Amino acid sequence: MSAVEVTGVDKIFNAGKVAQVDALVGIDLVVEPGEFVSLIGPSGCGKSTLLRLIANLTEPSAGSITVNGKPAKQSRLDQDYGMAFQQAGLFEWRTVAKNIELPLELKGWDRAKRRARAREMLQLVKLPDFADHMPWQLSGGMQQRVAIARALAAHPPLLLMDEPFGALDEMTREHMQAELLRICAQTNTTVIFVTHSIPEAVYLSTRVVVMSPRPGRITDVIHVPLGAGRDDETRETGGFFEKITEVREALRGAELGGGVRGVEDR
Amino acid sequence: MSSVTAPPGTAPPAARAARPLWRRARRVLMFVLSMALIAAVWEGYKAVGPQNGGDVLGWKILPRAKDSIMPHISDIYSRFGDPINRASDETVLSVVLKGVWFSFRLVLAGFAMGLVAGVLLAVLMTRLRVAERAILPYLVISQTVPLIALAPLVATWGGKVEIAGWEWPRWLTASVLGAFLTFFPIAVGTLRGLQSPHPSALELMDSLASPWHRTLFKLRFPAAVPYLVPALKLGAAGAVIGVVVSEISTGLRGGIGRLVTEFGQKATSDPAIVYTAVIGASVLGLAMACLVALADALFMRNRPKETEA
Repeated sequence: MSAVEVTGVDKIFNAGKVAQVDALVGIDLVVEPGEFVSLIGPSGCGKSTLLRLIANLTEPSAGSITVNGKPAKQSRLDQDYGMAFQQAGLFEWRTVAKNIELPLELKGWDRAKRRARAREMLQLVKLPDFADHMPWQLSGGMQQRVAIARALAAHPPLLLMDEPFGALDEMTREHMQAELLRICAQTNTTVIFVTHSIPEAVYLSTRVVVMSPRPGRITDVIHVPLGAGRDDETRETGGFFEKITEVREALRGAELGGGVRGVEDR
Repeated sequence: MSSVTAPPGTAPPAARAARPLWRRARRVLMFVLSMALIAAVWEGYKAVGPQNGGDVLGWKILPRAKDSIMPHISDIYSRFGDPINRASDETVLSVVLKGVWFSFRLVLAGFAMGLVAGVLLAVLMTRLRVAERAILPYLVISQTVPLIALAPLVATWGGKVEIAGWEWPRWLTASVLGAFLTFFPIAVGTLRGLQSPHPSALELMDSLASPWHRTLFKLRFPAAVPYLVPALKLGAAGAVIGVVVSEISTGLRGGIGRLVTEFGQKATSDPAIVYTAVIGASVLGLAMACLVALADALFMRNRPKETEA
């Protein structure tokens, strides 16, 4: 069973009006369990919209989406995925531990079980001493770690991330990328990751999905066979730079040709 | 947001949030000083101001400084200790305090009613965008109706209410008018607060399959608290004004509003007593302000300081 199956999906805003926008056209994408897939493309290419469609935060105009073999809506209701945004979006009136417990509260877990899981998640993101701190006492990178802990608190098989490191400085960002890979390997989580950054996409992903705007479509899918156990040295290997060049050229081609290279899925 | 990086093992939040003692002491000192300043200006004007008032550029605006209009502060102070009249042993202080206590309870009842009505309206307007467009303009218009005109109307309507043997008590009119001035700032402030969460926070709740009412209690209400605190301040002031004015307007006995008019009639023979009632009314306002400040400190503990602005 695939983690995510997107078949023939269109998303059109303001259909039939002057302000009609074809945000996404003819999207096909299959993500297998254990994959790390990045969606990359210029602003307005619909990559965030695609993520939000998979999360069932908005409905497609055409086509179908399944997550864990279920319709997207059912998966959302079952909390089959966790989500992280560019803003850590921690609730400032809750302690760090209570923020992580939020998804568990909504699932109706009892207090003792929630506390235990929050502690476990804080170990995972290496913030064990911050359970009772308030979010505003944490740095941006630490807040984003708490957001990841919150997204994974219910142990969902899928993690959806919308530019989660976009607001961090470069050093923190690289550190968080390595941490994310470690956490996903440790928890066996499938990830779909929206980003603007080419090195970020290449470093993290098993596959990079390149998208073009107006109308939003998938123009290229690039496999990144750098293997598991990537670290800071991976960033200095020839294979890494080759893949960066490949993604950059795919992006340029997408911008110039608008899909001349054709849709090549999987 | 914050760039504060708390190293492991730092003090717990509560210890950091505690306000230094000297700052509180300075606040008390400033209050005493400002009271002394007002007294000094009062007595200073009495010393140099014209006894029968004066003109500035032909406008009669300078108040009369004579004792029958502006009594000495010491006279006002000592008047509190004197009996209310020759036939009674009760001091003015006791009468004024009883009046303040009577009105305070009406203000609390009105404030509570206004708070509940305002919050419910805000929730309704958050839930239904149509309701916001339909209700909000009427709320604004409602606040332009003069209270003096409304008070007798409410008293008349209330007199006709009788539900299963329960009759509308006269004091309820004053509380209802207090609530009438309270609910508006609370409704508007709460509405803004309920709508304040970032779209991604609402999407997060959606992604967790949170039903609307759980998002209301787990996200919208906590997010509205910083907006509610200033609204409570306005609402408390409104409740005091509503109650005092309707006490005067409907002639309700027992409260500080009634004392203000009663003592006002004695102004020519007993000028100091007028000010005892006025001071009583401001004590009532102060009491409500203190209550709100207490609520503020309680709700806003552990919040980042940026949101207080």
